[in-house]
Amino acid sequence: MEREKIISTCSQSKVELEESRIKTFSKDSRIHTSYRVYDGSSVGIKYVQGRTDDEKGFAKAKENLALLRPYKFTLETGSRHRDKTEASCSDKELMDIARQVLDYLKEHHPDFIVSGSVTSERNFLSMENSLGLDHSNTDGNVSVNICFKHKDSKDIDDGWFGLGQRTFDFRKFTDMADNYLSNFTNIVELPEELIIQSQYYEYTGKFWEMLNAENLALGTSLLSGKTGGKVFADDFTLLHDVSDEETWNHTFFDGEGVVLPEDKHIFIENGVLLGGFADKRIADKYGVPHTGSADFNFVDTPNNGRVNFRIKRSEKTVKELLDGRLSVVPVRAHGGGYNEKGEYVTPVECAMLCDGERFIGRLPEFAVKGSIFDMFGKDFIGVGSDNPIFNDKQVLMKMNYSK
Amino acid sequence: MFRFPEGLYADIRIEYTEDAAYSFENGEVMSDTENVVSGAIIRVYDGKMWYTSVTNELDNIQSELDELASLAEPDPDIENDPMVKLFEVNRDTVLLFEGDNDIRKFTRPQRKELVESYLKECFDGSVPEIKKCGVSYYQDHHIKEFYSSKGAEIKQDFQQALVWCWFDIVVNDITTSGGRGFQSMELKDITGCYDQVRDRINRFLDFAKNAEDVTPGDYVCVLSPDTTGMFTHESFGHKSEADFMLNDKTLRDEWVLGKKVGSDLVSIYDSGSPLHRGYIAYDDEGTKPRETWLIQNGVLTGRLHNAKSASVLDEELTGNSRAQDFGFSPLVRMTNTYMAPGNMSPEEIIAGVEDGIYIYNVNYGTGQGTFTLQPNICYRIKNGKLAGPLRVNVVTGSVFKTLFDIDAVGNDFMICDTCTCGKGGQAMPVSDGGPTIRVKSLNVN
Repeated sequence: MEREKIISTCSQSKVELEESRIKTFSKDSRIHTSYRVYDGSSVGIKYVQGRTDDEKGFAKAKENLALLRPYKFTLETGSRHRDKTEASCSDKELMDIARQVLDYLKEHHPDFIVSGSVTSERNFLSMENSLGLDHSNTDGNVSVNICFKHKDSKDIDDGWFGLGQRTFDFRKFTDMADNYLSNFTNIVELPEELIIQSQYYEYTGKFWEMLNAENLALGTSLLSGKTGGKVFADDFTLLHDVSDEETWNHTFFDGEGVVLPEDKHIFIENGVLLGGFADKRIADKYGVPHTGSADFNFVDTPNNGRVNFRIKRSEKTVKELLDGRLSVVPVRAHGGGYNEKGEYVTPVECAMLCDGERFIGRLPEFAVKGSIFDMFGKDFIGVGSDNPIFNDKQVLMKMNYSK
Repeated sequence: MFRFPEGLYADIRIEYTEDAAYSFENGEVMSDTENVVSGAIIRVYDGKMWYTSVTNELDNIQSELDELASLAEPDPDIENDPMVKLFEVNRDTVLLFEGDNDIRKFTRPQRKELVESYLKECFDGSVPEIKKCGVSYYQDHHIKEFYSSKGAEIKQDFQQALVWCWFDIVVNDITTSGGRGFQSMELKDITGCYDQVRDRINRFLDFAKNAEDVTPGDYVCVLSPDTTGMFTHESFGHKSEADFMLNDKTLRDEWVLGKKVGSDLVSIYDSGSPLHRGYIAYDDEGTKPRETWLIQNGVLTGRLHNAKSASVLDEELTGNSRAQDFGFSPLVRMTNTYMAPGNMSPEEIIAGVEDGIYIYNVNYGTGQGTFTLQPNICYRIKNGKLAGPLRVNVVTGSVFKTLFDIDAVGNDFMICDTCTCGKGGQAMPVSDGGPTIRVKSLNVN
């Protein structure tokens, strides 16, 4: 009988902002533990939130073997510890940052009312078992999330921006705030050619459904039957990537302790579908390779679905990819999404015209549409090598206006 | 019980939660769990800002309270702070879910039996187009205690059970996902609803086989009662939450009480008292919920408050300060929010449409100046009758215009008890409801 334990700790201090004032200082530090006991065919699991006693936790997990939750796979081994944290931020320093943020916005952008939060957090996740597995991942950051509203706006808010950094750089925050707010009242016309510039996870959600190996096998994915075929653009490569360079609050191991070679797995390479994502159960059920995609289910057996989708970067910067054209950055766009045919439509209530790095002015409300096969096919421009505007990777692709 | 610090307002919310789940998917048991979690949030207010702490260690509440108090700046006159003055001092125990009505007595074998009954009755393999399907059951039971430095002592409970039957239908290589859920505080309401699941499967099958893509544009839209509920919540409900307008002159002028904001047919109210998904005996500041009429016959008559917003706007408390769980401070939130019924039958409402769209149900909605609804299934209305199914991605409108564009309100009021509202990173159980309504123009994509 083998034993396994997963511990997750999130320690967070947060300053909440409301109506351009500090509203609350809050602290939250909780520990979550999942105890697993394996007998070769089943696993018994016990979840505890709060301080606990290991022997009691494992004893309860052993009792839960009676539930016959199936698990027949070989447990992982190996030892690795990754700590991505940089500078620590005391509660006093956090309050100082919050005051600095508010002072700056009030002085330089007095026509805006802001709410949001300034948060410092440290996340720790470990997994160890009686076969010698000993993994841990630690990360932490200071983030500022600002929801803004122009004083003359009749809406609840007009948009938001956020900046998360392992070491907080106030200058980056002021650059971001100036970019979003300085030209907000400068109303400009919609460009004839609609090139969307955005953090790409706004548009990659459909891939969770399409690349699930079970959906591919059962014929419920739009990509079923297309493995090995060219489906997207030549320069579109989609992968799971938790490498040191790309990780942000992601562990290098999955909920079954699997560590991938180079911390990556490619699903679509140069437009060709290589395969879907699978944990060990799905891989076994459908005869496909497992891709280290088990989630951290603390209360039951792991489920398939832990994937950190990244699009491979171009060697060109965002501005170089635009090649003199202007882009449109949606600031507040929600309510639609993809339909079952992979067609995307969403109203864009607030968007900014952009030269790739700086906002030029605010655009009228419009609706955007496109097909996932075009957006990442013939209309895909690329992911820039740099991180302007959001301090994050961003995708460029052509889309269409809808009525 | 607790030593509250001098010169400060403080409150403590302790929660004890027990949940259980059983689900079955594609021939496998996917979950069979029981969990117990307890924790508390401690809040201190010094007249300028709040200091809060969250803990699972209930033995440490007093020390957490003392530590927060050491960070704050005591104010000898804190009792006369406008917000603190408004906090109610209720001492009450409201435990509705004890004895035979306690959902915690629903055992593992019973949960399994319930799920298997839906699988047997609704997914017997007779619909070959269904390629994936499953049934999930979830229950939770909460006991919440609230103590304040003003003397409030409240103990209340809440419970819910949910069955969700879902399926993926593949027709012409396109997968249409659908489902039917049932939620209630009582198990009898979610047991044996097989016909409703079968009806939903047949409706989605017809949709998958026959739906045509809508031509984008502006249409007369008739909203089913389920859709009206979501519309009410998203289009207007969020604008009634007063915390967004405290120091905002533009919004206070825009949403001044007594202003005409919709057609005479529109009346909307919110109340935490009905035993539906938004039920509370007291809110998370210890306030007893009121029935608040937000719009009466098209006129803005009220809004939803916590103590802060009520004090700033000099209005009455409504009992709408709610937190997802002990991990969160409360925000102004809806509870059970409904559009009141009118006199027309749904058939009469549809008969008045020459060319339009009937929105049968929706996945989700959002609510800013422009509200959105993402439909699951829509139908064309031709010459006053429902025609074939339509594939619609999103319906949008301006709240400022749409409430005036409602020109028919039905007599078929229904409550939807499966809703969860998101705001400020917190998910909150709510119910919404309303009758069939007709809107003169909405944008459809």
